[in-house]
Amino acid sequence: MTSSQFLSFTTFAYLGASILYLAGVTFRTTKALRAASWVGLAAAVANGAGILLRWKESYDLGYGHAPLSNLYESLVFGAWCIMLIYLVLEKKTGHRSLGIVPSLIAFLAMAYASFSPDVSSKIQPLLPALKSNWLIAHVVTCFLGYAAFAISFGISGLYLWQRRKGLSGNPAGPLKLLPDVRELEEYNYQMILFGFLWLSVGIITGSVWANSAWGSYWSWDPKETWSLITWLIYAAVLHARAVRGWQGPRVAWLSMLGFCSVLFTYFGVNFLLSGLHSYATK
Amino acid sequence: MSPSTGTSSSSLSTLWQKLGSLRFTLLLFFILTFGCVLGTLFPQGVGERQLLSQFSPSTVKWITTLQLHDLYHSLWFQALLGLLSLNLIVCTLQRLPKTVALLQHREEFLDPRKLSKFSLSCTLRVPSGLPHARQAVEQVVRSKVGPLNQLHAPQDSFAFVVERGRWTRYMVYVVHLSVLIIFFGALLGSLFGFKGMMNVAEGETNNRVFLSRGHRQVVLPFQVRCDDFHVSYYDTGAPEEFRSDLVILEDGREVLRRSIRVNDPLTYKGVTFYQASYGAILKEAKVQFTDKESGETITLDLAFREPVPFADSGRMMELVDFAEDLSGFGKAVAVVTYREGEQPKGSWILVERPDFHGNRVDRYAVKVLDLNQAHYTGLQVKRDPGVVIVITGFILLLAGLLTTFYTQHRKIFIWAQATNPGTTLILAARSSKKSLAFEREFQHLCERIREHLTNPRKES
Ligand code: HEM
Repeated sequence: MTSSQFLSFTTFAYLGASILYLAGVTFRTTKALRAASWVGLAAAVANGAGILLRWKESYDLGYGHAPLSNLYESLVFGAWCIMLIYLVLEKKTGHRSLGIVPSLIAFLAMAYASFSPDVSSKIQPLLPALKSNWLIAHVVTCFLGYAAFAISFGISGLYLWQRRKGLSGNPAGPLKLLPDVRELEEYNYQMILFGFLWLSVGIITGSVWANSAWGSYWSWDPKETWSLITWLIYAAVLHARAVRGWQGPRVAWLSMLGFCSVLFTYFGVNFLLSGLHSYATK
Repeated sequence: MSPSTGTSSSSLSTLWQKLGSLRFTLLLFFILTFGCVLGTLFPQGVGERQLLSQFSPSTVKWITTLQLHDLYHSLWFQALLGLLSLNLIVCTLQRLPKTVALLQHREEFLDPRKLSKFSLSCTLRVPSGLPHARQAVEQVVRSKVGPLNQLHAPQDSFAFVVERGRWTRYMVYVVHLSVLIIFFGALLGSLFGFKGMMNVAEGETNNRVFLSRGHRQVVLPFQVRCDDFHVSYYDTGAPEEFRSDLVILEDGREVLRRSIRVNDPLTYKGVTFYQASYGAILKEAKVQFTDKESGETITLDLAFREPVPFADSGRMMELVDFAEDLSGFGKAVAVVTYREGEQPKGSWILVERPDFHGNRVDRYAVKVLDLNQAHYTGLQVKRDPGVVIVITGFILLLAGLLTTFYTQHRKIFIWAQATNPGTTLILAARSSKKSLAFEREFQHLCERIREHLTNPRKES
């Protein structure tokens, strides 16, 4: 089988998983939720296999590089990170209902990578500027951070929803299968810590790499600046928790804003602003 | 003390409180974030002329007043970073003594009434006697948490404290210190370093660096020679590698010889050379001139920018410029001719289109017979004495984040009293992370102790 076959299976499996998660929560059937987890796991395995195969295929073509070098590859890798981190979270918390948003985002990333005319899935040779082991360290760490923030975005949404229901009476309806507000807040905080740590590692590896490749550890390139913006927003989230009157919903909103900044760092900068990190120009 | 000094000292102390407050931190974070966003919306590092081509004159006036076109180096942005550092320092000065005091405080004995008011506490009434209870507590707690510290307690009772990860309370200070270290390193770099570009043609030597900021030049105390510049391509036509073979010379003597590539720079005496760009230059051209009137032909070897006498006419010919690709017409050389007391005349001569009717200077048709070209390598040259400090800050930051996020300071208090028959135990706990996970861990611990003391089969 080829990597693209694995990856198209992955796309549909993520779709299946997100439908099952949603169905499980709406119709309150744990059976659907359990199925969702298994489909999600299968999709993640296929996603990983697809990435490894693509790596091998790039060697067969004579280019030989880790599949992290263009928009397509990074979307595929991003989807994988989201699902892997989510599955670990699910295992640790035992709450399958948290999977709605992560599986949906993983599906959207894969679908965009596969079907958008802006994204080329061709294996291309590496530009000289990207030929470095730092590329792997930088991209992997940034994506672990982004993925954790994506999951935190989902949890924040559930938190705000659950809280509104909680305030307007007893949490009835679909929300019964969701964790309570206090748990959601804690998982959200865990994800933000994880994301913040990896985003910091990502920014630092990028910076050390830039220093060794171009002689400047920080040059205010738009992508760099936007990753700093994201970092500042999450730093604000961490500190906001310690200020009275800033806990709860405000932290959740701020963390959702942080994820918007992640999206802008990733897509907006590529498509709207120019700079060094121009992987989406073709 | 007069009332006025009283108010001013109290307003000073509120100012001090505000300077170190987290609300001020949040405010600074938001303004900085907003500033960074602005900086990505306006073109950075461009001149006024370029701005005028994009924006209306009144907008340009705003942009230049607020320095939005060089935002990250503007005074107000740097002032914000300064305020953030101040905020951090003041905050640390306010909190660190409290943390130290908290950690130095050691209980001499426990007060059961206080313990039962902790948000994490549990009371167990068990049938076992005091010695057995004590043995069970010691056994379970030691295996689950760590070694116990016994406190003074009256007869018929005992008290223990278990504490883990006291040091982790300091790690958030390490995170904050690392931020200050990074700022300090960046400041050092901007005060005592430089960054610029230097072009060296193949076979030539250079020691002048044009700085990227402020139209200045730095003359290096040694020379750089480029022996060869080489580009290789993939089958697709995309560049695969850029390489310059460099030699460092001191007083004309070779001291170092190395090739640099993108991602593989050379550092000598604190100055680092990075492969940044390249280009082609012209060294010499063989040019044929045909007099349109007499049909007479003269061929000259013109070295770049060196005037050559044109036969005996008293006229000079000079190659003044070279273009790798002139508006899509391929290579072109600019030839100029002049005579004493005359305006120079000149034109671009298209090398690859010898029949082009514009290939003429004065009354001569010009044809380029041969080009002797070379490459130059574009080196980015940098000296930054702050890098080591910044990288130290990075490492500290990561170590600090990892430990603040994933370790915690936990303290568990255990008090027990014989209440014949049986024993009453009170357990209470506190942790630096008020997490659910710790709450569960604590409940689990209580549960284990209760099981141990109520389930006789486990007594052995
Ligand atoms: C870019 C700069 C900063 C970074 C990266 C940073 C990072 C952090 C981190 C990672 C934590 C731990 C949060 C947690 O465990 O939830 C923290 C906590 C804290 N920070 Fe900062 N910080 C910065 C600036 C500041 C400033 C300027 C202040 C000044 C007041 C400050 C005050 C605090 C305080 C008081 C805490 C403890 C909060 C608590 O009790 O939970 N930080 N900081």
